Amino acid sequence: MRFLVPTVFLATLATAALAHGPTPQKVDQTIVIAAKPAAVWKVVGNFAGIDTWHPDVAKSVAVDGNAAGGRRKITLKNGGTLDEGLDEMNDKDFSYSYRLSDPDLKALPVSSYSATLTVTPDGDGSKVEWLGRFYRGDTGNEPPEELSDEAGRKAMNTFFADGLKGLKAKVEAGKGK
Amino acid sequence: MIRGLALAVVLAVTVCGPVRGQTVYAVSQEGGTLTPVAPPGAAIPLGKGPAQVAAGPDGRLYLAHPDTRTISVVEGRSGRVVARLPFAGQPFGLAVARDGRSLFVGDWSGHRVVRVSSATGAVEGSVAVGRDPAGLVLDRAGRLYVADRESHQVSVVDTATLERVGTVPVGEAPFALALNPAGDRLYVACVRSGDLHAIDTATLAVVGRTVLGGMPYGVAVSGDGARILVTNQQAGTLNVLDATLAPIAKVPVGRYPEGVAISGNTAYVANWFSDSVSVIDLSTLAETARLPVGEGPRALAVLAQPDTAEAPR
Repeated sequence: MRFLVPTVFLATLATAALAHGPTPQKVDQTIVIAAKPAAVWKVVGNFAGIDTWHPDVAKSVAVDGNAAGGRRKITLKNGGTLDEGLDEMNDKDFSYSYRLSDPDLKALPVSSYSATLTVTPDGDGSKVEWLGRFYRGDTGNEPPEELSDEAGRKAMNTFFADGLKGLKAKVEAGKGK
Repeated sequence: MIRGLALAVVLAVTVCGPVRGQTVYAVSQEGGTLTPVAPPGAAIPLGKGPAQVAAGPDGRLYLAHPDTRTISVVEGRSGRVVARLPFAGQPFGLAVARDGRSLFVGDWSGHRVVRVSSATGAVEGSVAVGRDPAGLVLDRAGRLYVADRESHQVSVVDTATLERVGTVPVGEAPFALALNPAGDRLYVACVRSGDLHAIDTATLAVVGRTVLGGMPYGVAVSGDGARILVTNQQAGTLNVLDATLAPIAKVPVGRYPEGVAISGNTAYVANWFSDSVSVIDLSTLAETARLPVGEGPRALAVLAQPDTAEAPR
């Protein structure tokens, strides 16, 4: 009876790690920054440098460089961790695409995601779009509220929006100096 | 003679488009709609969350709604939902038996394939497969191939006995499958490992593999078997390969391209994030149109009207 609890716990973890689910959800956040795309890219284009501009990120460690195949290991201020790998890095077009390796429901209540960040010219400044596709934390048909599509949408949109606000503040402050 | 010439001219002018008697549909999961994209028509409301679609030999389309445990049945000619079949599970991938009487339905979280009556949804049998069955494809001999997404393999099911007769290990997270017209090659796109595998269906051995990178989410084979089309979600491209899996072209499409289907000399790609379908001329390998559809299109189907369909072989 004593080992029932850990067994159930492990089974739950295993499900979360393997789950992908049949219902993808969108996340899409955009911000306008008063700086040229090249200046924005100098900050955001270093994939593992997210801890220099995202206010929710405590630490980010680069693994295997800043090209396809490279990774970043993020520790959030809430204690959760995100291990993300680059699929595409377009230094010329100021865009990269990456995905989550293993879910950590403490970090974000989602089982998987992939995302693309793009910097484009917008008048005299730049537009940064951060968009992605994710699956809710519990991919079964009766997810608890905290692992539902809605909970995932809220968390992902907040994470992207917070990040873009931090990026804008960092780039525009740097420009003034 | 003049009529024949006129017809030839019409055919020559309409090289880019669906084959006569065929309709290409896109299904939008978030929007809950089925849209005829070629020839174009009005969107058909389907209810919540249709994820995958399969065309039957009877002019009907079958759609899986995983979150509401239903399969909806649409009559292509009238565009009407003619039935909603309950399904005890999380229905996802679908294949229609050649006689149209049964459906094979992948039960995503049940890790099995269930055969149900296409008229009533009554369960006729089931077979255990690997974890999270995604794409399903049925060959002419009644053999069903299932992409077991989280078991990183393809399950092979004899539908006459509903027994699994083999498994073929592939890359990580196989999602989409396509057979060539001859039925001797099965192409499997693996989302996580970013590669495409070619399986010899006679020996069930992997005879080819190529790394595409990104996240390949859809695969289709041209009518002559010479070209393999693979969508890459991360790159936003349709990758065109030859039958040896050598790259021919990468055609930019919308964001998060997923399902791909071919009718005649035209390919159609469902752009999940962009809420559109890209139309690609396979002669020029260029996008000729981008058609708006309901939110979150993932899958496509090519429906042949029963009166113009080929007789079953």
